[in-house]
Amino acid sequence: MAQVTAADAARPKDHRFRRARNRVPVWHVIWLVLAALVFLVPIYSVVQFSLAGVQPGQSPFHWYLTVFDDPMFRSSFWLSIQIALETVAVSLVLMVPTVFWVHLRLPGLRPVMDLISILPFVVPPIVLVVGLLPFLKNITFLFVRPEVLSLIYVVFALPFLYRALDAGLRAIDLRTLVEAAESLGAKTPRTLLLVILPNLRAAIIGGSLLTIAISMGEYTVASLLEFNTFPVYTYVIGTSTAYEGVALSFISFIFVWAAMLALYLLGRGGRSAAAVAITDYN
Amino acid sequence: MATVELRGLCRRFGNVVALDHLDLEVGSGEFVSLLGPSGCGKTTALRIIAGFEWPDSGEVLVEAKDVLGQPANKRNMGMVFQAYSLFPNMTAQQNVEFGLRVRKQSHEVRAQRARELLELVGLGSALNRFPRQLSGGQQQRVALARSLAIQPSVLLLDEPLSALDAKVRVQLRAEVRRIQQELGITTLYVTHDQEEALSISDRVAVMSQGRIEQLGTPAQIYSGPRTAFVANFVGTMNQLEGTVVSMEDRVVRCGPLLLSVPDPTFNHPAGETVELFLRPEDIGIEVLSNGTQLVPGQFEGRVTSLTFLGPVTRVGLTTDIGPLLADVSSAVALNLAADTVVAVKLDSASLRSIAR
Repeated sequence: MAQVTAADAARPKDHRFRRARNRVPVWHVIWLVLAALVFLVPIYSVVQFSLAGVQPGQSPFHWYLTVFDDPMFRSSFWLSIQIALETVAVSLVLMVPTVFWVHLRLPGLRPVMDLISILPFVVPPIVLVVGLLPFLKNITFLFVRPEVLSLIYVVFALPFLYRALDAGLRAIDLRTLVEAAESLGAKTPRTLLLVILPNLRAAIIGGSLLTIAISMGEYTVASLLEFNTFPVYTYVIGTSTAYEGVALSFISFIFVWAAMLALYLLGRGGRSAAAVAITDYN
Repeated sequence: MATVELRGLCRRFGNVVALDHLDLEVGSGEFVSLLGPSGCGKTTALRIIAGFEWPDSGEVLVEAKDVLGQPANKRNMGMVFQAYSLFPNMTAQQNVEFGLRVRKQSHEVRAQRARELLELVGLGSALNRFPRQLSGGQQQRVALARSLAIQPSVLLLDEPLSALDAKVRVQLRAEVRRIQQELGITTLYVTHDQEEALSISDRVAVMSQGRIEQLGTPAQIYSGPRTAFVANFVGTMNQLEGTVVSMEDRVVRCGPLLLSVPDPTFNHPAGETVELFLRPEDIGIEVLSNGTQLVPGQFEGRVTSLTFLGPVTRVGLTTDIGPLLADVSSAVALNLAADTVVAVKLDSASLRSIAR
């Protein structure tokens, strides 16, 4: 190894390279500002509009307070959250073992899975629902329950969750990890739980986030099946009181951002959390 | 520790024959290497023993009991893989403890065993490091410790050093051997690196096309290859073609030379064409200066190439019996250059013959 001599140490550090390295080209800044404007201007407009139209003496957050006071808001919001969580749970229970198994034992089926996973992109939601309605009406016990929305949203979220899990499994040497665990005496369920799932944490969180976003924002199907979910409520309010509708849109933004932040933080702490989980096992 | 016996193992992948009636016996505490080129079936054999592949026919006996009916997680065999196989979400200690946790050992027992084994592989200070914080060599040491933690009946190593750089590889293979001898564990080691196989094994099985070409101690494999494949695969060999002049006297004509083959197993009738093999280190050369006469047993050669290998230099020669490679001391090689005329002498005591 090269030795650092006293002469080297005494030599003044040349800052030109650091300055050159740290310099950001002006085009990068321009593109960044333009991109930021595309996103921020509509949001700013939404916030400004939601604070407008307030009578003198009223709180600037009048429309937000009005919305929060409405029992229909609370019920529709919680219904959407419930449906979103159910969708995530059903999607993960269905997809994680399936994608794991296809990657591990049936890699020849991966092209088929790829094809199936893009079908919800190809078939528009309205077509899907029109096709599903006669079927759903035959199973009336399900038709009248909001859980039916979860089942439909599982299909809508399929491409996003599948892609996330697929990318996560491609990023690890699945076969070697599974065989290593088996050689140490573990059966497949334990291997999946203790070895594979902790290493898929980022993929699961990313896929779940997209699933929540889809479930929380879906309007067409919920409206056709006459469930008063948050998007349906937002639309109805928006048609009667524009200010309240815009306030609701912003609340929806905030919720999705908060969900993203929470999942990001959860994912960032994933490794240490996984290690704790392993230590606590048994 | 257990004995391992493979009986008539066959395995095909489509039209490709991976194993062709493979037979092998590994004694208790023995270190046997399966050595061969890519595609010779060595990894398939190891994976069948581990329970990750199944043969089309044949038996795998461990302690005289057929284990083919058992899944991999019931065979109690430690395995170290070619690819880095540590669980990324666990520390080195948690990795080593994994097999014991599956066996529902107490936390104290697990922790103590993990510490002992990590000490054994020289990583006692890396208990809490995650795989991403370890070098490739360190990861394979942890993988070795993890495979030993379950006190396996057999240790299977599938090219565990092939992803490491040369210096670490040499260092780690010595440690693998030391640990194996210390624990006396029956070990099967798959490698395509002949130097690795010869340096750490009790016996080496040289494989080709799903079969064992030769099984023997490293010295037997190196000095007494029984097939042309083994001769060519293990080390560097000069290969000469000759015709048997006398079976009783074991004399072969090779170009203008009459060579006496010392191999006691020589059993080729007069007139048969045989191949003679000789290591480069068994060929001596001397610079022929003006007026120097060849002595009996010597013949003339001309230097065509010089390859510096450190302590020795490999000299390429053209001779009347064909091209030859000879290893000479690098100090001697200083007197050589391309087109230097030299006197060549074969150490006929090292000649090996194989019928074509």
